[in-house]
Amino acid sequence: MNNTENSPHNVDHRKVIHEAIVRKNYKRKIVNRVFTGATIACVMIAMIPLGSILFEVVKNGISAISIEFLTQPQGSIIRGDGGVGPAIQGTLLTVGYASLIGVPIGILAGVYLSEYAGNSKFAYTVRFFNNVMTGIPSIVIGIVGYIVLVITIGSFNITAGAVALSIIMIPIVVAVTEETLKLVPNSIREAAHSLGIPKWKVTLFITLRSAKNGVLTGIVLAVSRVAGETAPLIMTILGTSLFFQGFLSPVDALPLRIWRFASQPYEHAHSFGWGAALVLIIMVLSLSILLRFLVLEKSFKSGSLVKM
Amino acid sequence: MSSEEYANTNSYKLSSLAVTKRHGYKVSVRNLNSWFGSKQALKDINFDVKENTVTALIGPSGCGKTTLIRCLNRMNEMTSSATVKGSVYLDDIDIYANNVDPVIIKRRMGMVFQKPNPFPTMSIYDNVAAGLKLNGIRDKALIREIVEESLKGAVLWDEVKDELGKPGLSLSGGQQQRLCIARALAMQPEVLLMDEPTSALDPIASAKIEELMNELRKELTVIIVTHNMQQAARVSNHTAFMYLGELVEYGPTKQIFENPQKELTERYISGKFG
Amino acid sequence: MTRLLDLGIDRIRNIIMDMAKLSEKSVTTAIESYEKGASTKKVIFEWSEQLRVLQDEVGDLAIELIARYQPVATDLRFIRSCMEIAYGFSRFGRYAYDIVDVLETMGSIANCDKSAVLEMSCTVREMIRISVQALQSKDKNAAEKLYQMDDTVDALYRKYLREAITPYEKADKGSFDPRCYISALLILRYLERISDHACYIGDSVHYIITGMSSPRR
Repeated sequence: MNNTENSPHNVDHRKVIHEAIVRKNYKRKIVNRVFTGATIACVMIAMIPLGSILFEVVKNGISAISIEFLTQPQGSIIRGDGGVGPAIQGTLLTVGYASLIGVPIGILAGVYLSEYAGNSKFAYTVRFFNNVMTGIPSIVIGIVGYIVLVITIGSFNITAGAVALSIIMIPIVVAVTEETLKLVPNSIREAAHSLGIPKWKVTLFITLRSAKNGVLTGIVLAVSRVAGETAPLIMTILGTSLFFQGFLSPVDALPLRIWRFASQPYEHAHSFGWGAALVLIIMVLSLSILLRFLVLEKSFKSGSLVKM
Repeated sequence: MSSEEYANTNSYKLSSLAVTKRHGYKVSVRNLNSWFGSKQALKDINFDVKENTVTALIGPSGCGKTTLIRCLNRMNEMTSSATVKGSVYLDDIDIYANNVDPVIIKRRMGMVFQKPNPFPTMSIYDNVAAGLKLNGIRDKALIREIVEESLKGAVLWDEVKDELGKPGLSLSGGQQQRLCIARALAMQPEVLLMDEPTSALDPIASAKIEELMNELRKELTVIIVTHNMQQAARVSNHTAFMYLGELVEYGPTKQIFENPQKELTERYISGKFG
Repeated sequence: MTRLLDLGIDRIRNIIMDMAKLSEKSVTTAIESYEKGASTKKVIFEWSEQLRVLQDEVGDLAIELIARYQPVATDLRFIRSCMEIAYGFSRFGRYAYDIVDVLETMGSIANCDKSAVLEMSCTVREMIRISVQALQSKDKNAAEKLYQMDDTVDALYRKYLREAITPYEKADKGSFDPRCYISALLILRYLERISDHACYIGDSVHYIITGMSSPRR
C-alpha cells in the first residue's frame, strides 16, 4: 500500500507546521496585545464625545430644571420666567401623533415585503425606494410637508409636523420589521400552516409575535430618531408659546425651543436651552430604557426568538 | 347555491367526517407528478394507504420522499416554484381538485417536522392550544380538555402536567418533538404525516416516539418518512422504497425486508448504495 | 468499499464450504471402509467432531452478524440458511461415523452381498455432490432433482427391507448370515437419512435465492 510512501511525508508536514507555530509564538503574543490595546483605545475614543455631551448637558442644564420649568409656558426671557411646558407637551403630542401614523404603516409594509412579496421585481423596487428614503435629508421632507400640508391648510400645524416626522419614521420601521421577520425561521411558519391556520392569522399571530422584540426595537429606534429632529419641524409646526390649540394649529417642540434659545443672546435663554436639551435627552433615554425593560422582561418569560 | 348543492361540493365533504372511503383506503395516490420549476421531483406515483396503519417511505437522499409526503397535505405549495399533476385522495376526495381549500386539508392531515419547532413565544399549554384557538374555538373548558387529551396522546402529559405555563422551548429535544406531536394531535387529524421525526433526537427519545407511533396507529393513520431503515423496519406495516422520484417498490414491511422483489430495493436496504 | 457485514458473510461461507468438503470426504471414506473392510473409525470420529465444532462456529457467527449488523433480504436469508445447512453437514459427519461404527460392531462382513448398499451409496454421494454444487453455484432448481433422487433412495431402501425379511420365509436358511442383512439395513438407513438432509440443503438454497420456503414433504 502507499503507507510507507506517505509516512515520511506526513511526518515532515507535521514538523514543519509545529516549527512554524512555535517559532512565531512570541511575535504572535505581542501582535495580540497590540491589537487588543488598539481596539480598547478606539472604544474609549468613541465614548469620549458621548461622555462629554452627557456631561456638558447635565452640568449646564441641571440648574434650569424645576417644576415651573417643566410645566409653565415661557414668560419673560430676560427675567428667566416660565419654562418649556408647551414644548414638552408639543414634543410628546407630535411624536405620538407621528407614531400613530408611521408605526402601523411601517409594520404592515414590512410584513408585506417579508411575508407576501418575496423576491418579485415589485418587492425589489419597494425595498430600493425604502432605502433611498432613509437617506433623504430631513429638511427636504420638511419643505415637502410645508408645501403639501401647511400651504393647503393655511397655517403651520401639528398635523403637518406629525406627517413629516412619520415620513422619516416609516422607512426605518419598514426596514427593521422586514429584517426581523426574515429572521423568524421558516419552520415556525410551516408548523403554523400545517395546523390549518389561514395565512393572515399565521402572519399576525405567529410570525409577527415571534419577531415582536425586534419590531419593538425598531419602533424605539424610529421614535428616538424623530424625537430629536428639528429641521422638518421648523417648516411645519413653527413653534409657539402656547399649549396645544388643535390639530390644525401650530404647536411647540423641544428641539425647536432649543434651537431658538441657542440663537438668543440672553443668559437665561442659554440656561433654558441646556435645560430643554437635558429634558429631551432624558425623555428619549427613558423611552429607550422603558421599552428595553418591557422587552427584557418579555424575553425572560416567553422566550421570544429574536433578541436584539 | 342551494343547501343540497353545497352538500355535494368537495368543501362540504371535506369538512364533514362521515364520508365513504375509496375502495377501503384512507389515502390513495394516483399518477402523482411534481416539479420544482422545470425539474421533475416525482414521477407517476401510485399507492394506497389503509386506515390505522403505519406506512414508511424510505430511499436515499434526494429520492423525493419528503416531496411526496409534503404533497399529501398540500404543504409543497409553500415553495413558490412547486407544481403538481395527478391526484391524492383523502377518503373519496381528491385534495387537488379545483374547489378544494388547502387549509381544510391541513386540518385533517397533521404534520410533524424533522426539527422540533414549538412556537417560541408560547407556553406548553398555548402551543398545544394554538391550532384550536386560531381556528376559532373559544370554549375554554373544551380547549383545556383537548390539550390534556393531546398531551396524553403524545405521552407527554405526565412530564409536563405541573408546568403547563413554562415556555415551550424550555423542554428537551425529545420532549419538544412530542409537544409538536401533541400540537398536531389537538386538531384531531385523521392522518398524521411525519417527516423524519426522530432524526434530530437521541436514541432513547427516538425509541419513545417509535412506541408512540404504534399507539397512535390505533386512532389514526400514520405515514412517516425516514432515512433510518431499521426504524422503518421496526415501526411500519407497509414500506415504500423510492429512488430518483419514482416509487420502486411498495409492500408489507416483512416482505420488503425479508424478500424484496426488485433488485434495486434489495441493494438499497442491504446498504450496497445510498 | 466492502460492507462490514460482507466480511462476516464471507467467513460463514468459507466455513460452510470447508464443512461441505469435510462431510463429503467422511461419507465417501465410510462407504469405502464398508466396501474394502478398512478400519477408519478413529479418523472419521475426528472429522465428525471437527464438523460439530464448525457447526457451532457457524451458529455463533450467524447470531453475531444478526445482532451487530441487522442484515436484511438475501443476506438475512443466507445467514439463517447457513445455520440449517451447517447442521445438515454435521449430520453427514455423524452418519458417516455411525456407518463405520456398525462395521466395527459387526466385525467381518467380507462375504456379504454389498450390492444394495453400493448402489444406494452411489446415488447418495451424487446427491451430496449436487447439493454442495447447488450451494456454490446458487442453483435454485437443484432441490427438485434432489427430491427425485430421494424418491429412488427411499424405493431402494424399502425394496431391500422387504428382501431382508423374505429369507425367513424361504426354506433355504443355510447360507443366511444375519450380520449381512443387519449391517446393510443399518447402513442403508443412515444413507437414506443423508439423502434426506441433502434434500433439505437443496431447499435452503432455493429459499436463499427465491425467499420462498418449500414445504417439507
